[in-house]
Order: sequence, then C-alpha cells, then structure tokens
Amino acid sequence: MTQAANQLTPAPAPAPAPVIIDVVDGPLPGASALAPVENAGALVCFEGIVRPLEDGRRIAALDYEAYQPMAGAQLRRLAERVLHRHGLLAVRVEHSRGRVPAGACSFRLRIASRHRPEALRAAEEFIDTMKRDVPIWKTAVFAE
Amino acid sequence: MQVTVKLFGPAAQRAGSREVRVTLDGERPTCQDLRAALARAAPALGDVLPVSRFAVNQEFAGDDDPLRTGDEVALIAMVSGG
Repeated sequence: MTQAANQLTPAPAPAPAPVIIDVVDGPLPGASALAPVENAGALVCFEGIVRPLEDGRRIAALDYEAYQPMAGAQLRRLAERVLHRHGLLAVRVEHSRGRVPAGACSFRLRIASRHRPEALRAAEEFIDTMKRDVPIWKTAVFAE
Repeated sequence: MQVTVKLFGPAAQRAGSREVRVTLDGERPTCQDLRAALARAAPALGDVLPVSRFAVNQEFAGDDDPLRTGDEVALIAMVSGG
C-alpha cells in the first residue's frame, strides 16, 4: 500500500470498551440504547427493582451504601472475569448508591454475546458473585 | 499499633458507629489479631465477625495478612448489592 493510499484510508472507529462500570447517585435512569456490538447475537439485560414489600412491610425506598472506590473496582474485576470466562463481547454494569424509591431501578446488567447460553450463564454468575463480594449495602426505609 | 476500622450497613447499625478504633499488640499484627481485638472493642459485632472479611487498602485481606500503620481498614460484612 502506498503512502498516499494510507493517508486516504479513514482510521477505524475505536471499539467501545468491552467493560463499562457506573456507580451513580439515586435511581438509575432509563436504559439507553447499547452501542451496537459487532458479532452479537444475544443481548441480556437484567434490572433490579426496589420491591415495595419486604416481609409484609411496605417499603418507601432502599438506601444504598457503597464503599468506594473498592465497590467499583470489584464490579470491574468481576465483569472482566465473566467477560473472559464466558467469551462475552461486552458487559455494562450500573449500580445505584443513595436513596432509590420503591419501584425504581437500582441495578442494571447488560451483556452482549454471540449466543444466548453464555450470556444467561454469565448474568447469573455475575449477580451471585456480586451479592457476595462487592461492598455495597442496602437498608430499607419503611413507609409506616 | 492503633487501627481504625470502617463499618458499613448492618455492621455500622449494630455497632452504633461508622468506625471503631482498636489497639493491636505485637510487632506484626495480622487481620486475625484485628478480628479478636474488634470482638472485644465492639461486642455487638460478635455474631457478624466470624462471617466477615476485612479490606485493607481497598483489597480483601486474609487472616494471615499483616497490618501496617496507616493502612485503611474496612469490615466487609453482610453485603447486599443489587
């Protein structure tokens, strides 16, 4: 290839990061469209919603507390682990901190993969491990 | 050596405090020594400590890991993200 041809060829767009972690204040906003992931045949999205009832008591909100930056670092480490173990294409994690009212979204996991089974397995593994290893706590704010 | 342990969530509620300061004896105290000292300093955490881990400088630490002056130490107990 000549030097002139090199200059005329547009540089390829940078690939989106395969792992994105966000720990944000308050309830999560509505899910934005995930950037197209090349070769993806499956997109699994799990949203955790604050339940309005817990053990028969009405809940107004949950207060989330995160030990940062360790919580974000643990989420990233876990996302990268499931990304590689299951051969995924992309993982995006959003988690709330602070107060999230009942009915609102406090956690969102999106996984893109070539096929469905690995995305579903990875989602289950991610959530189970998060609930054991990521320093985030929730406290119920009861309505009455 | 004095160590201040950060507390979160249910552990903070039980202890009634966001942190507990303990004194560790010996030249090279470990997280195991800290667990014992914390049980004495905050008896309300007695049933929590056996199923808790420590984070030292933002990383999980094992019972045999040493503690040094100035380390940031947190009790990671009963996490409940999601």
